[in-house]
Amino acid sequence: MPKILMKGAEAIGEAAIRAGCLSYFGYPITPQSEVGEYMSRRLPEVGGVFVQAESEVAASQMIYGASGAGVRVMTTTSSPGFSLMAEAMSYIAASELPAVVVNIVRGGPGLGGILPSQGDYFQAVKGGGHGDYRCLVLAPATVQEFVECVMKAFPLAEKYLNPVLLIGDGMIAQMMEPVDFDAVKTEPQRDVEAWATTGCKDRPRNVVECLWLDPKLCEDFNFELIEKYKKMAAEDCYFEEYELDDQPEMVVVAYGTTSRIVRTAIEELRKDGYKLGMLRPITLFPFPFDRLRALSETAHVKAFSVIEMSQGQMIEDVRWAIRDKFPVGFFCRMGGIVPSPEEVIDFLKQEFVTRGLKGAKS
Amino acid sequence: MADPTLQDYKNDVPNAWCPGCGNFGILQVLQKALVTLGLPPERVLLCSGIGQAPKIVHYLNCNAFDGLHGREVASAQAAKIVADDLTVIIHSGDGGAYGEGGNHFLHAMRRNVDVTHVVHDNHIYGLTKGQASPTTDQGQKVAVHPDGVAALPMNPLALAISQSCPFVAQSLSSQADHLLDVLCQAIRHPGFSYVNVLQPCVSWDPVHTYAYYQKHCYRLDTSHDPTDQAAALAVALAHDGRIPLGVLYRNDRPALRPVSEPGVGDLRECPDRPARLARVFDRYR
Repeated sequence: MPKILMKGAEAIGEAAIRAGCLSYFGYPITPQSEVGEYMSRRLPEVGGVFVQAESEVAASQMIYGASGAGVRVMTTTSSPGFSLMAEAMSYIAASELPAVVVNIVRGGPGLGGILPSQGDYFQAVKGGGHGDYRCLVLAPATVQEFVECVMKAFPLAEKYLNPVLLIGDGMIAQMMEPVDFDAVKTEPQRDVEAWATTGCKDRPRNVVECLWLDPKLCEDFNFELIEKYKKMAAEDCYFEEYELDDQPEMVVVAYGTTSRIVRTAIEELRKDGYKLGMLRPITLFPFPFDRLRALSETAHVKAFSVIEMSQGQMIEDVRWAIRDKFPVGFFCRMGGIVPSPEEVIDFLKQEFVTRGLKGAKS
Repeated sequence: MADPTLQDYKNDVPNAWCPGCGNFGILQVLQKALVTLGLPPERVLLCSGIGQAPKIVHYLNCNAFDGLHGREVASAQAAKIVADDLTVIIHSGDGGAYGEGGNHFLHAMRRNVDVTHVVHDNHIYGLTKGQASPTTDQGQKVAVHPDGVAALPMNPLALAISQSCPFVAQSLSSQADHLLDVLCQAIRHPGFSYVNVLQPCVSWDPVHTYAYYQKHCYRLDTSHDPTDQAAALAVALAHDGRIPLGVLYRNDRPALRPVSEPGVGDLRECPDRPARLARVFDRYR
């Protein structure tokens, strides 16, 4: 199939269907209501089910129930709606069920606005709901990559029996870009008999639950989760390196929409002789700690910068990754404003001066 | 102090509703009702959440609380409980009141705090551009239900009457005289009062138009006894294609008041608040 031009929100829906997700539960919220509209139209054509819930609380509990019943299931929402789903995320993680959730992040806190933001980083990677749990978090930067990540998200959720969260923003969800659905192959659903509530004929029944009144059992489960998250870090940590192979002085870290701006800024700066490149995390959890640390230990890297559309959230992970070996420069725009390449270029040029790098002279 | 005037409630916040929206009628009548009741803006608190209807709190010059979708029903009760001198009026859409906030609506009726809940019921989600709401007709084709809505619409009037909601009324945004009378009665009612205001959505709902309501609505007359719960329920449940306007049901259940500890009084205006509170706490030591 040739490439087709598709709006991000609709491509997310189509990718899920092609990944074998035939059940979608959601509640409208800007800027991603088009996912629900697309699914309501498309799912009946392929024998799937679409339900508009009465709230995000209900939608998230519906994916909890549907996942427990052993089917591939997805919901999509935007920041205020994801806060309402935080409770279910904790329960789905604790019940060890696979589910795919997309959060098209908008400016916050509170009702905020509807334009692009990365303010939900902490909520996505550090928890959001209560208790010690993690989502595997994917942060694609293009509509094509969103399609690929959605199609990979289902097998990943099943591999780890854990929710997979994709985060993007209104720029990607509302923009049309060429997509090729054949570029990625999804894996068929694994056998669900071990955990799904699919009946108990000729086998012990499965119970979906997450209550351990015996603290020893609860602690044992938490140790199991630690092992699960270590395995994610070892086997499913994804990132892209851009212009990092010719001994750059500076490494810029950015993800999602921001990484697109940074890519342009680096392209321009390199024309002027600045030696810098970008590490773009694709998984925000697991985070590419090891790769960043290795970069910080090379002889040529002298500085790190982080660009975000939030007050400084991912920068904490970058600082931890490099053990604060260097001061980390930071630039942000917030509340729905996407930084321009010009202001990122100006910031990075200034960082070269501040950190005493050779910059254009090199 | 001079009586409040319409001018007192005017502000210059730009209006973001579509031309012809039913919300304009509700806004005008709400201003009139507040003036008719002699309520100065500083004594009125309008509470709302998310949607087209909740924008109304920005278009009047009085206290406003614009909180979360459907949850403003809970917040508003708390505001009234701690500030009993305020007249608290909630403005929700059908999505906020009956969907996201359905649970809060149910418990507000039970609790019976003296607030008024006005639901702008246009049978559609306007803000997110035309998805089905809890009151969209079964079979109606809308954005996310291209083959028609499968679920039954909620019957919020019957629900409220069955739960002995202290005041249950319905009006129409385009019948200003009727809406003014109903709103004034609701605000005056000493307890939780609920008004479902039908309004056309001129952008996203081609079914429930001004002409549709003109054709199907009828006003309850003096033959209807609003203190007769069974009769009220029968009106709300009648499947005769006619839409009742008026006060369907009311009762005189005493409203929930803040617990008045002797000697505590109004917490906000109490000069020796810590000492008085300490006396209360001492009783539980």
